[in-house]
Amino acid sequence: MLDFLGPLLGRMHPVLVHLPIGILIFGIVLCFFPQREKNNFLPAIRLAFLIGGIAALGAGISGFLQYQFEGFAWEDVRVHLVGGILTALGSFGLFFHLRKKDVIQSKGKVFAFVLGLILTITGHLGGNLTHGESHFTDVLPPGLQSFLGIEILPEKGPQLPEESWENAELFSEVIQPIFNQNCKSCHNPRNQKGELDLTTMKGLLAGGEDGLIFTAGDAEHSELFARLILPKDDEKHMPPAGKRQPSKEEIALIESWIKKGGKETQTLAEAGISRKLIEQFILKSELPFYPKTSLAILSADSLATLKTAGFFAEAIESGSGLLKVSCTNFSGFQDSDWEKLSPIKNRIAYLDLSGTQATDAILDSLEGLSNLTVLKLNETAVSGNSLDKLARLPHLKLLYLNKTGVNLRIIEQLSTSKSLQKVFAYQTPAAEEFPNSGKLSLPFLLETGNYSLPKLPTDTVVY
Amino acid sequence: MNSHEKLFAELAVQKLQNQTRRHFLIDCVSKVGGLAMAPLLFGCEPEQLIKKSTGLNLSERDLNPLAPLPPPFLGKAKSIIYLHMAGAPSQLELFDYKPELAKFHDKDCPESLLEGRKFAFIRGVPKMLGPQAKFAQHGQSGAWVSDYLPHFAKVADEVAFLKAVHTDQFNHGPAQLFMQTGSPRLGRPSLGSWVTYGLGTENQNLPGFVVLTSGGKTPDAGKSVWGSGFLPSVYQGVQCRAKGDPVLYLEDPSGMSRDLKKNVISAINQVNQEDFETFGDPEILARINQYEMAYRMQIEVPEVMNINDEPEHIHELYGTKAGEESFANNCLLARKLVEKGVRVVQLYDWGWDTHGTDHDGSIDKGLRNKCREIDRPMSALLLDLKQRGLLEETLVVWGGEFGRTPMQENREGKIQGFMGRDHHVDAFTMWMAGGGVKKGASYGITDDFGFSGVDERVSVHDLHATILHLMGFNHEKFTYEFQGRPFRLTDVHGELIHSVLA
Repeated sequence: MLDFLGPLLGRMHPVLVHLPIGILIFGIVLCFFPQREKNNFLPAIRLAFLIGGIAALGAGISGFLQYQFEGFAWEDVRVHLVGGILTALGSFGLFFHLRKKDVIQSKGKVFAFVLGLILTITGHLGGNLTHGESHFTDVLPPGLQSFLGIEILPEKGPQLPEESWENAELFSEVIQPIFNQNCKSCHNPRNQKGELDLTTMKGLLAGGEDGLIFTAGDAEHSELFARLILPKDDEKHMPPAGKRQPSKEEIALIESWIKKGGKETQTLAEAGISRKLIEQFILKSELPFYPKTSLAILSADSLATLKTAGFFAEAIESGSGLLKVSCTNFSGFQDSDWEKLSPIKNRIAYLDLSGTQATDAILDSLEGLSNLTVLKLNETAVSGNSLDKLARLPHLKLLYLNKTGVNLRIIEQLSTSKSLQKVFAYQTPAAEEFPNSGKLSLPFLLETGNYSLPKLPTDTVVY
Repeated sequence: MNSHEKLFAELAVQKLQNQTRRHFLIDCVSKVGGLAMAPLLFGCEPEQLIKKSTGLNLSERDLNPLAPLPPPFLGKAKSIIYLHMAGAPSQLELFDYKPELAKFHDKDCPESLLEGRKFAFIRGVPKMLGPQAKFAQHGQSGAWVSDYLPHFAKVADEVAFLKAVHTDQFNHGPAQLFMQTGSPRLGRPSLGSWVTYGLGTENQNLPGFVVLTSGGKTPDAGKSVWGSGFLPSVYQGVQCRAKGDPVLYLEDPSGMSRDLKKNVISAINQVNQEDFETFGDPEILARINQYEMAYRMQIEVPEVMNINDEPEHIHELYGTKAGEESFANNCLLARKLVEKGVRVVQLYDWGWDTHGTDHDGSIDKGLRNKCREIDRPMSALLLDLKQRGLLEETLVVWGGEFGRTPMQENREGKIQGFMGRDHHVDAFTMWMAGGGVKKGASYGITDDFGFSGVDERVSVHDLHATILHLMGFNHEKFTYEFQGRPFRLTDVHGELIHSVLA
C-alpha cells in the first residue's frame, strides 16, 4: 500500500540535492574566511558540515531510489552516485576533523577545497542526467562552440552526381554519410554511446560494448541494421525516438550494403544498387527555375498598391523578393497600365497578361525585365514583329502565346534566346503552319497542340 | 502567447461558433440567475483573447480568407485537379498486369492470402479471378495499360503510376475520408481545404475549391470529403451542380438591377460587420465574404461554367454533351476552372464498386462501360492541359479510395452471378501527372497476384506528403492549431515519394 513511497522519494531527489549543495557551499566558503587565533565561525562551519552531510546522505538515498525506479542506466549514474557518496562521507569527515579545533589549518582547507570539487562534479553530472549534456553549450554562440570543439556540425546526407552515379563508392559516398547524418552525434570518437563509434570503417568493425554490430552478408542478424527496423517505441530502436529517423531508402541501402558484404570499397554498380534507392541523393544538375536574386521582399504597402490597382501580385515563394503578377481579375489592363508595374519591374518573375487589352506595344515595356521567367500573353492582340525583343530577356523560359496572331516566322525570331525552353502557340497561325514546316529546327520546344483522340470502334460499344 | 492562453482563445472562438438560438433560449431559462454572477466568474475577457490569438485586428486574410498567400517554398504546381473514382476501380483490370493470376483463375484462393484477414464481403475460401482485360505496354515508358482504356494508353507517357498504394480502410465511406482528409473519421479538413487555406486563390471572382460530381451519386462519405473540418468553413469545397445551372440563382430576378443588388449586399454586410465587431466570431467574416463572392461570381461563373461556347474540336476531344451530367463535362469544366485560376478542382465519379452482384457491377461488362465513360475525357483533359501549357503548373491525380481483390467475390458464401471483386486495401494503382511529376515513371511493385505491394509501397499519407510538396508545402511544417495542438494533413506520418518527382 505504501509502495508509492519509494518512487515518490526517488522523484524528490532533484529537490533534495539542493540542500547539501547549498549548506556545504556555505560551510566551504566559511573555511576560507580570514581567521585569527580563534576562528569564531567554527561552530557554524561544523554545523554546516554535519547538517550538509546528513542532507547529502538523504539526497543520496533518494537518488538511489530514483535510479531504482526510474530506469536510469547504471553506466550513466555510476560516477554521479559515487560522487554523492564521497560528498556525504567527506562532509562527515570534515565535521570530525574540525570537531576539536580552534582554527582551520591548511590541511583542513585542502580537504574543504577537495570536497567543493567533488560536490561540483557530482552536481554537474546530476544536471547532465536531467538536463542533457549539452545544456550549457547549446546556448553558446556557434563560433565559440566550434572553438571549444563541442559542436557536432549537422552532416549532410549522401550527395551523388547525376551522371556516373553508378561509379560512386557505396561505403564512403553513401553509407558513411548516412551514418554521419543519423548516428554521428551520439556515436563519434568523443562521444561513444554504447562504446560505439560509427564515424569510420574501423569503428564499425570494432563494434560496441555488446560486441560486433554487423555480420557481412547477414543483415537480419546484424544489430546495425536490425535496430533500425525495430518498432519506434522499442527500447532498442535506433536512432532513439525523437531524433532524426533515416528514410526507408536509407535503411534499405544499409541493408543492401551489409548483404553485399559490408565492404569498404565497392561501387554502387558492383553492389547492384538501383537508381530508385538513391534517387533522393542525386544532385540535380538543373539550375533553379527562377533566377537567384538578393532582392529583399517587397513591402506590404507596395504590394497593397499593386492589388488596389487591380493586379494579382504575390511573392513567388515565402520570403522571396521576386513576384508573380497576373491580371486574372483585371481584364481591362491596357498598355498604359504598365506604368503601375514599372517601379517593380525588376522583381517580376512571372507575368500573366492573358486575356487583357495588351498589344504589341507592351513588348517594348517588357524589355530589360532581367528576372522575367514565365510570360503569358494568351488571348491578346500581341502578334507583331517586335517579339524578337523577348529573345533578349536573359531568363525567359516559358512563353505562352496561345490564341494570339503570331505566325511561325515571328516565332523563329525567338531562336536567338539562350534561355527559352518552351513556347506555347496553340490556336495561332503558327500552329497551322507548323505541321507543314518540315525542316524547321528551333532551340526550344514549340507546343502547337491541336491534339485529337481518333474515334475507336470501342467508343460506342456498350457491354 | 503561451499554450494555455492559446487554448482559452480557441475555446472562446469555439463557444462563439457554437452559440445558436437554441442555446440562447436554454440559457434564458436556466441561467438568468447566473447572469448576475457572470462578471465575477469570468474575469478574463474572451474578446480580448480572440483579438490576441487570431489576430482579429483584421489583416487582409481576415477580411478575405481566400486572399492569396505565397507558398512556403517554390512548388512546381499551382493548381490541383483530383479525379476520384468513387467506389474504387479494379487495378487488376486497368494498370496492374498479373499474368500469373490468370493461371489461377477459378482455383481456390491459397490459404496464405486469407489467414488472419478480413474482407468486406468475402467469406470462407473464394476462387481466384484472373484479369479480364487484355494488357499491352504503351508509349516510350512501356507502361502497362489494358484495353479497357484505349485512349488513355496513348497518353500514358504523361503520367507517373503509383502501383503499390495501400490504405487501411476497407469500407467506402471511411476509405474516401482517409484518402481525402488523411483520417478515416469525420472532422479533418480535406486536402483541397488545406491547400486553399495555405495558398488562397488567385481569381477573386471564383471559389478557390470547386467540387463536381458525376455518375448519379455523390461519394458515400458525404460532403465531408470536401469539408473544411476544423479549418474555417470558407475553405470547404464549393459543390457545383452537375446538371442544369451549375450554381442556382446566378441570374438576377427581373427588376433587380446590378446596382440595387450591390446596395442590398453592402447593407447586409454592414449589419454583419457590426455583428462581427460585437461578437468577434470569425464565421461572420466567412459569411460577409460569401456574400461578396456570390456577387462577384455572377460575373464570372456563367462564363466559366458554360461549355457551350467551347469549339467543336474540344467537344470532340472530350466527348462532351452539353446539358447532361457526365464525367466528360466535368473534365472540361475542370480545365476551364484551372485556366481561370481556381486552386483546387475535385471531381468525383460514382459507379466503380464492381462486386459482381449485377450487370453494372461486373468486372467484364459494367466496368468496361464505366471505363469508356472516363477513358476519353481524362485522356483529353491531359492533352488539353498540355496544349495550353497548363500541365506545367497543374497537378492531376487519379485514383479510387482502395483497390479490388484478386479473388472473385463470394458474398454470403455464395457464387455471384457476375464476375466481381471485393474491396482490397493492400495494393492498388493511382497515377499523377503534370506540374513537378516525373513523366513515364512507375513506382511500386506488387506480388504475382497483385494482392500486396512487395516493394516501393506508398501510403495515403505518403501520397498527401507528395501532393503538398508539389504545391510548395513541407507537410511536416504545414499545421493548424486546434484543440491545443498543431494538426497536419499527414498527422505524424508521410514520406515524400522522390521517385515520381521530376
